[in-house]
Amino acid sequence: MTAALPVIGADAGTGCRGCSAQRAANLVQLGIDPENWDYLVALAGNPNTGKSTLFNALTGLRQHTGNWPGKTVARAEGGYRHRDLRAKLVDLPGTYSLQAGSTDEEVARDFLLFGEPDVTVVVVDATRLERNLNLVLQVLEITDRVVVCLNLMDEARRHGVAVDARTLSEELGVPVIPASARRREGVPELIEMVHQVATGVVKPSPRRIRTLPDEVEAAVAELVPVIEEAFPGLPNGRWVALRLLNADERVVRAMETGEMGLWLDAPDQEWSPGDAVRPGPAEVARVTDLAASLRWRLPPDFHDRLVEAIYAAAEAIAARAQLRGVRRMRFDWDRTLDRLLTSKWVGFPLMGAILAVVFWLTIAGANVPSAMLATLLIDQVHPVLNQFGANAGLPGWFTGFWFDGVYLATAWVVSVMLPPMAIFFPLFTLLEDFGYLPRVAFNLDSLFRRAGAHGKQALTMCMGFGCNAAGVVSTRVIDSPRERLVAIITNNFSLCNGRWPTQILIASIFLGALAPAGLASVVSAGAVVGVALLGVAMMFLASWFLTRTMLRGEATSFSLELPPYRPPRLLQTLYTSLIDRTLIVLWRAVVFAAPAGAVIWLISNIQVGDASVAWHLIEWLDPFGLLLGLNGVILLAYVVAIPANEIVIPTVLMLTVMAANVVGVGSGAGVMFELDNAAEVDALLRGAGWTVLTGLNLMLFSLLHNPCSTTIYTIYKETGSARWTTVATLLPLVMGLAVTFLVAQVWRLLA
Amino acid sequence: MVHPGLALLLFALAATVGYFALRPRRGWVPRLIRLLRMSDRVRLEDALKHLLHCESMGLPSTTESLAGALEVSRGQAVGVLARLDRMDLARSDPQGHRLTEEGRAYALRLLRTHRLLERYFADRTGMPAGEWHEQAERMEHRLSAAQTERLARRMGHPLYDPHGDPIPSAAGELPPAAGVPLTAVPTGAAVRIVHLEDEPREVYDRLLARGLALGLTLRVTETTPSTVHYMVDGRETALEAVLAGNVEVVAAPEAPAPEAPRTTLADLAIGESGVVLEISPACQGTQRRRLLDLGVVPGTVIRPLMASAAGDPVAYEIRGASIALRRSQAEWIRVRRAEARAGEGEAA
Repeated sequence: MTAALPVIGADAGTGCRGCSAQRAANLVQLGIDPENWDYLVALAGNPNTGKSTLFNALTGLRQHTGNWPGKTVARAEGGYRHRDLRAKLVDLPGTYSLQAGSTDEEVARDFLLFGEPDVTVVVVDATRLERNLNLVLQVLEITDRVVVCLNLMDEARRHGVAVDARTLSEELGVPVIPASARRREGVPELIEMVHQVATGVVKPSPRRIRTLPDEVEAAVAELVPVIEEAFPGLPNGRWVALRLLNADERVVRAMETGEMGLWLDAPDQEWSPGDAVRPGPAEVARVTDLAASLRWRLPPDFHDRLVEAIYAAAEAIAARAQLRGVRRMRFDWDRTLDRLLTSKWVGFPLMGAILAVVFWLTIAGANVPSAMLATLLIDQVHPVLNQFGANAGLPGWFTGFWFDGVYLATAWVVSVMLPPMAIFFPLFTLLEDFGYLPRVAFNLDSLFRRAGAHGKQALTMCMGFGCNAAGVVSTRVIDSPRERLVAIITNNFSLCNGRWPTQILIASIFLGALAPAGLASVVSAGAVVGVALLGVAMMFLASWFLTRTMLRGEATSFSLELPPYRPPRLLQTLYTSLIDRTLIVLWRAVVFAAPAGAVIWLISNIQVGDASVAWHLIEWLDPFGLLLGLNGVILLAYVVAIPANEIVIPTVLMLTVMAANVVGVGSGAGVMFELDNAAEVDALLRGAGWTVLTGLNLMLFSLLHNPCSTTIYTIYKETGSARWTTVATLLPLVMGLAVTFLVAQVWRLLA
Repeated sequence: MVHPGLALLLFALAATVGYFALRPRRGWVPRLIRLLRMSDRVRLEDALKHLLHCESMGLPSTTESLAGALEVSRGQAVGVLARLDRMDLARSDPQGHRLTEEGRAYALRLLRTHRLLERYFADRTGMPAGEWHEQAERMEHRLSAAQTERLARRMGHPLYDPHGDPIPSAAGELPPAAGVPLTAVPTGAAVRIVHLEDEPREVYDRLLARGLALGLTLRVTETTPSTVHYMVDGRETALEAVLAGNVEVVAAPEAPAPEAPRTTLADLAIGESGVVLEISPACQGTQRRRLLDLGVVPGTVIRPLMASAAGDPVAYEIRGASIALRRSQAEWIRVRRAEARAGEGEAA
C-alpha cells in the first residue's frame, strides 16, 4: 500500500446525511479488475446479514468468483475506487465464529490472519445484535483495523429495534456505520470510513475481553510476556496466548514460519520472510513449551469458557447499545407465515404445490425456446455447415468428424439443456432468497434423518432434478461433512433434466400403448412420475445404506438456521443463477459433449473388416444387453453418450438405424438425429426388435446408471476424493444392472 | 438365452455369497484382512501393552495371562516373551515378566498413540463410541512416531482420551489417575465420573447404554456387594457392582445437585422458555463446538418457536436467530425453566 497519503478534511466521516448523494458520486465500481489496488478490504459477517448485498452495492454485479485455493468454499472478489484510491474487496464466507471448526471458519480466519487485509468490515445484522457481536468480538481479538457495518437498519426499524451506533462504537472501540445496503443507505459513509481507517486517519482501539476464569487469566499473564519477548511489537499477544493455550496448530505454525511477523505494528514497513522479526527455533520452542506446561493447569472445559466469555461480553454490549424504551416486538408477519408453512396440514401440500409449479414452469416454459434452439442449431445451421463443407471441397471425413460429430453433439446438448436450466435455476434461487427453502428442509428433515441424511438434502435433490452437476455443487449448503457426502453421492438418483425427454418418449411409445387410447397419456405420464418417485426412494435407500456402512465414521453435526423472510432481489438472482449455475454447468457439459460427438462419429465410420466399429461393439454387447432386458445398441449408447444424457436418444436412434440397416431414416452413419413424430420412432424401434420390456428397462436404466461425466467430474472437484467419486459412479450403475436384470427375469418368467 | 429361473437362482446365490463375504466386521473379507494384519510386530507390541497394563494395575503378569490377552497358545506366548527378552524390551524371572526401561518407553508410546487416536475419533469423526477402542487397537500399530506427533499437534495436544484416561506425553510421562472406582465410594457422597473403562467392549457398551458419561455427577445412596445405588438427574438408579467397578469418580462437592430432575430443551413446550445450564458432557467433538458457536452457553435464554410439520426438528430462538435442532440434540442441552415467558413479557 502507498505510504504517505493526503490527510482528509475534517468534514469526512461525520456521517451527515445531506452529503450522501454527493459522496455516492465518488464511488466508482471497478467490477472484476481489482488487480492494481491501493488497499485490501475483507468483508466478514454472520450468514444472512446482507453481506453479499453490500458486496454487490460496493463492487457492482461484475465480480470475480471462484473458490478459495484448495477449498470448495466460494470466494468473491471485486473492487471500487474512492477518492482516487482503488480498494480490492474480498468477501469472506459467512460464519458465526472464528474457532476454525468448519472449513468456512478456517478460510475466514486464515484470511484475516495471513491475507493482510488493510481494513476488515464486519457486517452486522442490527436486528440480531447480540448474536452478531460474538463474531465482531472475535475479529477484534485478531485485528485492530475494523469497521462495523450495522446493516439491515431498515428491517430493524420495521421490527421496532433501535440500535445506538454511537454507544456501540464506544463500547467496541471501532467505527460503527449504520447502513441499509439494499437501499444503499449508509454505503457512502461506510466507504469513507474504510478509506480513513485504511489511510490511518482513524485509528481504532478495539475492546478486548478481560473476563476469563482466574486460572486462564493467570496462564495468559504468564505467557504473554514470553511471547512479546520473542515477537516485540506484536499487537495481539493476548489472543496469540489464548490460541496457544488452546494448542491452535495454525498459530504454532505461523510462529515457526515467521508469518506472525505479518501482525507486527509496523504498517509502513514491508515485511518479507526471513526478516529479523522471525525469532529462532529456540525462542519459539520456549513459547510453545511454556504453553504446553500451562495447559495442564487449565480447567478441562477451557474452550467452553472462552465461548461463554465472548457471548457474555456480546450480551452486555448489546444491552447497552439497544436503545432503552424501545420494545422489541415480535416478528409477527414472519411468525404467522412460518406457522402456516410448517404446519402439518398446510405445510406439505403447499410445498408440493410450489415445487409442482416450479417444475411445470420449467417444462412448459422450456419447450418453446428449446424447439427454437434445436431448429436453429440443428435444422438450419448444421445443413449450412455441411453445405459450406461441400462447397469448399473439404474431405468427407473432415466435415463428418467436425460437423456431424463434434458440432452436432454440442448443439444438441445446448438446445436441450440451456432453456430448462435458465428457467429452473433462477426460480429456485428466488425461493432460496425469499427464505422458503430452509423451511422445506425443516419440514422434511425427519424423513431424511431416518436415512442418516440432512434435511437440506431435499433441496440439493430438487436441484438435481434440474441438473445433477448443479445439484452436487449445491450440496455446499450442507455444513456437516458426512451428510454432505451422502447428498453428493446420491444426487444422481434425481432424474435430471436431460433424462426427462427419454422417459417421456419411451413411456408414451411402449407403456402408453398398453392402455386404451383415451388413457394412454395418463398412463405414460404416470409411468414417468413413477420412475422419478422410484429415484427418490432409491435415494433414501442408498443414503440409509451408505450412512450405515461406508460413511459410518465421517463427522456429523446438524444445525439449520431459518433466516427471516426477505423480498428476493430479482436482478442479482438472475445474474448469479445464470452465471454461477447455468453457464458454468453448460460450459462443462459442452466441454465433455464435444469429444463424445467425435467418438460417436468415429465408431460409426471407422470400418473394421466389413463393418463399423460400432456394429462390432453392438454385436458383442448384445447378449449381455438381452440378459438385462435391453440390447447392445442401448448399452453402447450409454457408454459413448456418457457426457450427457441428452444425446442418448439421438445416439440410440442413429445406432439402431445403422445396426438394422434401415433405409430412408436418419442422415447417415454417425449423424445423430431425432424424429418429429413419435409414431415413426415407435415403428423404427419395434422394427429393431424392441418390446415393452426393452422400453420399461430403458426407463429404469436411464434412472439408475452412472452419472454423466460432467457430474462425475464435478463430484471429484467437490469431494477431492477418487474413492467417493468411484462410489458415486458405481453405486447407481450396480443398482441399475441388478434392477434391470431382475425385472427382465421376472418378466420372462411371468410372460 | 439363459432360463430366467436359473438366472434368478444364480443371482440370489451370488447376492448371498456377496453379503456374507463383504458385510462389515464379521464378513469373510474383513476377517481375512484382519488376520493378515495380525503380523509379528502387532503381537510383540500387544504383548508390551499387556505388560504395561499389568504393571500399572499392580498385577503379576504370567505367561498364561499374556497368552489370554493375545488370544494365542501358551507355546506361542513363550515364544513372544523370548523375543522380547532378546530385544531387551522385557525380562522374565520367577516373579513374572517385567518391562525394561526401553520396553516401558515403547509401550508408553503405543499407549499415547492409542489414546490420541481415540480422542481423534471422538472429536473429529462420527464413529460411535463403542468403536473408538477397536479402531485405535488396529491403527496404533501402523502410525510412525512422526505421524503420532503430527496427530497430537493437529488435535491440539489433548491431555485426556475420551474415556478419561490421561494421554502419556511425548516424553513418556503419565500422570497418575485420580479417580476411585464407584464401588469404593462412601454412601451419601456426590461424585463426578472421570473415567469409564473401555475394555471389554461389552461392559463399555452397557455403561453407555445406562447413560453414563464423563463429567456426569451422581450421589451414591447405597452400596451392597452386588449393586451400587445412586441418584442421577433426580432418578434413583442401580448399577451392578461388576459394571460399577469400571467407573471411576472423584469427589464433586459443588456440582449441581444430582437430586434435581433433569429438564432439557426437548422438554420445553412451544411458548415456554428456558435458561441453559449446561451441554451434556456426553456431547463432544464437532457437535459440541457447533452448539457453542450457535450461542448455546450457560445462561443463554432459549425459546422453542415451532415444531416442523413432522414434529422433529423444532426451531428455537437462540440469541435472536431461529435455529432448528433435532430432538437428540435438544436432549443434550440441560435447561432451567424460566419464570416469566420472555417473549410475552417484552411484547406486553
